[in-house]
Amino acid sequence: MLGPLLGSLSEVLQPQYLVPLAIGTLAGLIGGALPGVTITMTVIIALPFTFGLDPLQGLAAMIGVYVGGESGGLVTASLLGIPGTPSAVATTFDGFPMARRGEPGRAVWLGTWASLFGGILGALFLVAATRPLAQFALQFGPWEYFSLFVFALSMVAGVTGRSLVKGLLAGAIGLIITVIGQDPIMSVPRFTFGSEFLRSGFQFLPVLIGVFAFAQIMSDLERPARDRRPGPVPTPRLAVSHLAVIWDILRRPFLLVWSTVVGLLIGVLPAIGGSAANVMAYDQARKFSRHPEKFGTGIPEGIIASEAANNANVAGSLVTIMAFGIPGDAVTAVMLGAMIIHGIQPGPLFMTTEPRVAYGIFAAYLLAHPVMLVLQWVLARVYLRVVQVPRSVLIPIILVLCVIGAYALNNIMENVYALLLFGLLGYGLVKFGFPLAPLILGVILGDQIEINLVRSLMTDADPWLFVTRPISGLMLGLAVLSVALALWQHRRQARREAAEEAAGEF
Amino acid sequence: MARVSGAAPGRGPISTDTIAGLVCLAGAILLLLASRGLPRSPLVPIGPDFYPRLLFGAAILLSAILVVQGLVRREAPARRPAQYRLVVGTFAVFGAYVGLLPLLGFRVATLLFVLGLQVLLEPPRTGRGWMRVVVVAVATTALTYLVFEQYLTVLLPRGRLTGF
Repeated sequence: MLGPLLGSLSEVLQPQYLVPLAIGTLAGLIGGALPGVTITMTVIIALPFTFGLDPLQGLAAMIGVYVGGESGGLVTASLLGIPGTPSAVATTFDGFPMARRGEPGRAVWLGTWASLFGGILGALFLVAATRPLAQFALQFGPWEYFSLFVFALSMVAGVTGRSLVKGLLAGAIGLIITVIGQDPIMSVPRFTFGSEFLRSGFQFLPVLIGVFAFAQIMSDLERPARDRRPGPVPTPRLAVSHLAVIWDILRRPFLLVWSTVVGLLIGVLPAIGGSAANVMAYDQARKFSRHPEKFGTGIPEGIIASEAANNANVAGSLVTIMAFGIPGDAVTAVMLGAMIIHGIQPGPLFMTTEPRVAYGIFAAYLLAHPVMLVLQWVLARVYLRVVQVPRSVLIPIILVLCVIGAYALNNIMENVYALLLFGLLGYGLVKFGFPLAPLILGVILGDQIEINLVRSLMTDADPWLFVTRPISGLMLGLAVLSVALALWQHRRQARREAAEEAAGEF
Repeated sequence: MARVSGAAPGRGPISTDTIAGLVCLAGAILLLLASRGLPRSPLVPIGPDFYPRLLFGAAILLSAILVVQGLVRREAPARRPAQYRLVVGTFAVFGAYVGLLPLLGFRVATLLFVLGLQVLLEPPRTGRGWMRVVVVAVATTALTYLVFEQYLTVLLPRGRLTGF
């Protein structure tokens, strides 16, 4: 295991891989720092830039974007109190008070170093766990795959959004989008309405870009400009003793390791997603702390927990993608899409059939962290200026990149028309309160769900096999359980809100 | 999103959930009807309509639940202060860009789009403001064109009318 990893590390250190990795990390840092531009959006916008690259170059760049995105939010979170991405929300709790107390450099560098340590610990897990999990997944037949995908989808539908029904319906809409086009068995065109373009179905990239970019940009435009534009940004001195900061982190080994474990677990489990990892780790850190009342006043523990968790979370979700081929949330769905576009089908066979790319991904993930650290060191103050770019400049540029991304996939205008169509759909769904993550997961998994369902029923017509085969039955049981749990949680939430409202009226 | 704190049950008009449910229900029923014409083969026991019908069935069931939930809860639609002028305008300008792209070509259409959308989102009031709008439009067009065509060998659309 160590041999191939070292080989891949020296390969990715070559300029032809290191440069895309560094550029990707930089793009991720900037996208992560920009409020209103999430990591998902950054990954979507960056993806077309990798089309012309070889798979490992392209994936190194995308891993860089993902890792950079997780760390980019911490600068704006600490210095301005605005989390650039949802993964940096918990960083603001202590990062911003610490910076305001006159220690901006300590806040930023605690976050950066904690990201590095969390990421490297996460990498150990990524390297160690992917192969055994993939070997376990090798026992899967089409029944197990079908049930696993159903489980992933039901988890995401249950966790995201306020309404379970809307979550499930969003997932169903995503799956329905994938039945347009030829069926996988007889190649009969379905719901194509005579269109030649629709015969091959909608490509997922224009769907993803359309749904996500427009939903986000348009929701942003609904708010008056004065609500979101940060005022004049101070550019504080960030100089700090790095040894002191590193010691600040390493003398709290339990906090670091536990936050990393929380991040990893949330990454491995489908559905909960990176934006929850930092808040959960923060919450855990407070619960285990001897002085929980100090959280939120600018103490190092809060920053370390949040930032170690969100970078470890990337490793966890990469494990699930690489071993099982299922994405955990919207960002990882796009990352999975990126792998497919580069001709790689992640899944249990991936490690065996494509060891070079697989270990290349590990190496890229590991190296992205020191690269991130160097870039933060050089550029942290520059992000503060980037945040000031007005949205009237940012939005047209983002939309042009979206158009290029959709068009360059096959060099046809129809994909751009699909982008607009799904942009309207995505915005409409958000306006009606539907979560987008289940829809995205449905679009990404749709074909696989159908193929595995049909394959299993053609192998054996007995539908009970889905329940009686142990792993498949377990997955379906977990799917039902996750739906029931979501139902219970939504009810409890509604009751609590009703009680609060009633109390508020008196 | 459809929930407004303090809204008494039964006070609002038709809830957004009911509307969303009805739209999804109508769509799923139409697709279910459309799936009737799909050809089947005697050799393959599971036809191409099998899986879509499962999905449409599930979607019909879920939409119906959503409609009923919307009717029972009868919450007033969200009244978040929102500015739709910019949303509609941005969709319109983007629609025009997409429509003009194959006619004018990437370079001309992108230049016009970036100019137009900047002016819509934040109309420049000073000469310096206009200067910035033009610089951003030219730079975006030139940089994307150079990076994609020269370095990444992505061929961007040429215009049928302009040949450029």
